[in-house]
Amino acid sequence: MKGNLGKILRVNLSDGRISKEEISEEMRRRFLGGRGFAAKILWDEVRGVDPLSEENKVVFSTGPLTGLPLPSSGKMVIASKSPLTGGYGDGNIGSMAAVHLRRAGYDVLIVEGRSEIPCYIAIEDEEVRILDARDFWGKLTFDAQDKLQTKHGRNTGVLVIGPAGENMVRFANVISQRGRAGGRPGMGAVMGSKNLKAVVVKGTGTIPVFDGNRLREMGKEGYREIKGKGNYDFWIRQGTMQAFEWCNENSCLPTYNFREGAFRFSKRLDGYALEKVKVDRKGCPLCNMQCGNIIRDSENRDSELDYENVGMLGPNIGIDNLREVGVLNRMADEYGADTISLGSCLGFLMEASERKLIDPRIEWGDFEGCKKLIEDTVKKKGLGKIVFEGVQKASERVGGGSRDWAMQVKGLEISAYNCHACPGMALSFGTSPIGAHHKDAWVISWEISTDRFSYSQEKVEKVIELQRIRGGWFESMTTCRLPWVEVDFGLHWYPKYLEAARGEGISQEEISELGDRIYALIRSYWIRENGGWSRERDYPPSRWFEEPLRQGDLKGKRLDRARYDEMLSQYYEIRGWNEDGIPRKESLEGLGLDDVALDLGKDD
Amino acid sequence: MTEFKFLGYLAEICGRKSLGISLENPRKLRDILEVEFPEDRSIVVINQRVGNFDSLIRNGDKVVIMPMISGG
Repeated sequence: MKGNLGKILRVNLSDGRISKEEISEEMRRRFLGGRGFAAKILWDEVRGVDPLSEENKVVFSTGPLTGLPLPSSGKMVIASKSPLTGGYGDGNIGSMAAVHLRRAGYDVLIVEGRSEIPCYIAIEDEEVRILDARDFWGKLTFDAQDKLQTKHGRNTGVLVIGPAGENMVRFANVISQRGRAGGRPGMGAVMGSKNLKAVVVKGTGTIPVFDGNRLREMGKEGYREIKGKGNYDFWIRQGTMQAFEWCNENSCLPTYNFREGAFRFSKRLDGYALEKVKVDRKGCPLCNMQCGNIIRDSENRDSELDYENVGMLGPNIGIDNLREVGVLNRMADEYGADTISLGSCLGFLMEASERKLIDPRIEWGDFEGCKKLIEDTVKKKGLGKIVFEGVQKASERVGGGSRDWAMQVKGLEISAYNCHACPGMALSFGTSPIGAHHKDAWVISWEISTDRFSYSQEKVEKVIELQRIRGGWFESMTTCRLPWVEVDFGLHWYPKYLEAARGEGISQEEISELGDRIYALIRSYWIRENGGWSRERDYPPSRWFEEPLRQGDLKGKRLDRARYDEMLSQYYEIRGWNEDGIPRKESLEGLGLDDVALDLGKDD
Repeated sequence: MTEFKFLGYLAEICGRKSLGISLENPRKLRDILEVEFPEDRSIVVINQRVGNFDSLIRNGDKVVIMPMISGG
């Protein structure tokens, strides 16, 4: 089967060994690529280890569509055992590194061990070297990328960590192309623990495909279809920032540490405010609907904004100035810290301050105070010492009932959607396989368009349907889901692209089975690494159940815990998991995961 | 007074972000606005409850018409 190169590049930083391995046909069929490969590799190879020890591994994984001439295919998944959550962690990133890795002849790069000195990995086709990075260590991500490209040429792909990763801040991520970010559950910290500053890739080959002419023609058709969509022009102007006004109107905007769902000053931050200060846009390779909005921030530097970072670094911490949000966002990108977790940590500290649980104090909306807090978090000093491991750990330090408003699930901070009045989205956050993240199943539009306040089985089924398509299929192909979800690009294209790329399409049944297999495997990984499971780990924080919205059109709304629990039981039942959220033996075996069933040693 | 809000690119389709009109009698939404929205990609919310373009709108209702977005 074509499409995948069929090759893993493995680099051991402890002893310098570099090896190249074949990917079996069985693995390609059962796990497709991207997230599927990463989950399988971590299951097989990373067991019972400290995430920041040299025994952990970082997996850079592409899929059968990565880097091909079709819409938004310049993506890869970066995965590892997460130092933030202790479970499976991954994130996708748009980067030329994804394209170059495939052109160099590899689907996957696995980095293991730990270098004695700061290093980086330079890949140029067959030649793979571990090089001295002492000159780059301590550099901000933008500077480090520039210096590495000065040395290795502009025609390279670079994945780099900043001081947050070097200092092993638990939500440190990986940055590429001065603003593309991925791996929010601490993949940057794992790289830092290995003394790995960067990966630089240059590939000069051609990615082999089954029918190149057909693929190119269909790729062109796809790009044309996207450009012709009715909301394309609006998307180009606002990108994901169109969601800001929408979420504010629907009381989903993260506001004051998710206490509220609408922000009084929303018009100062929304997509229309953005349009007034936008100076450019940028995006991932091979994309014609670039979502990166470039503004000039209040320090006269460029900052790349999208909805998530404006939501979390704006209303969630009470800041109402878009250019100031731009500064905080740029600082996060340069330090290599995840903006969602960072915004949640800042909001947590502000609320703790308001409740007089910490000293010194930090007020809502204190821009200069936030700048200092970001620096302190990256350097693990002052109040930063409380939050550098995320809000779950911070709540253990602060006490005072703060666990109820530490806005996380499984240790990963909730992304920018308030769910006081969105039971389906709350379930999506509760069951996301990396902790509370939106990429697997964003269901708010659908639930508002049907029956927003219901706790129905139909809603549970919708979450699972989206998890299969977004979390299983798209994360493993590995292409960006935004053409489909944002401008309604036809989902029917992707089986055709797969067929042209590898000689085999994919059926609806196979998509579902792929997603279910990956979900069962990742859930099993969490269980194995945690020594068990309980359904409470699939609950969103108490705030959404116990504290009603106090303002806005949905004042008084909150989630119903008993009815959420009913939906969770329905979710487990559909997935073939028991009442504790543990996959049943027969369910695992039905997905061809007999070895996993045996390993878990659970018969129910 | 009946209040209408139009979000995102739907505001561009109808040429305004909001509208306030008085209705003497209940009327179907599509008969009031006479704008061709992409109905399969739009959500109609009337007084915080889901409706559609055939819903009867009464004076004093708050109507929001928004696109189906997908949250990135």
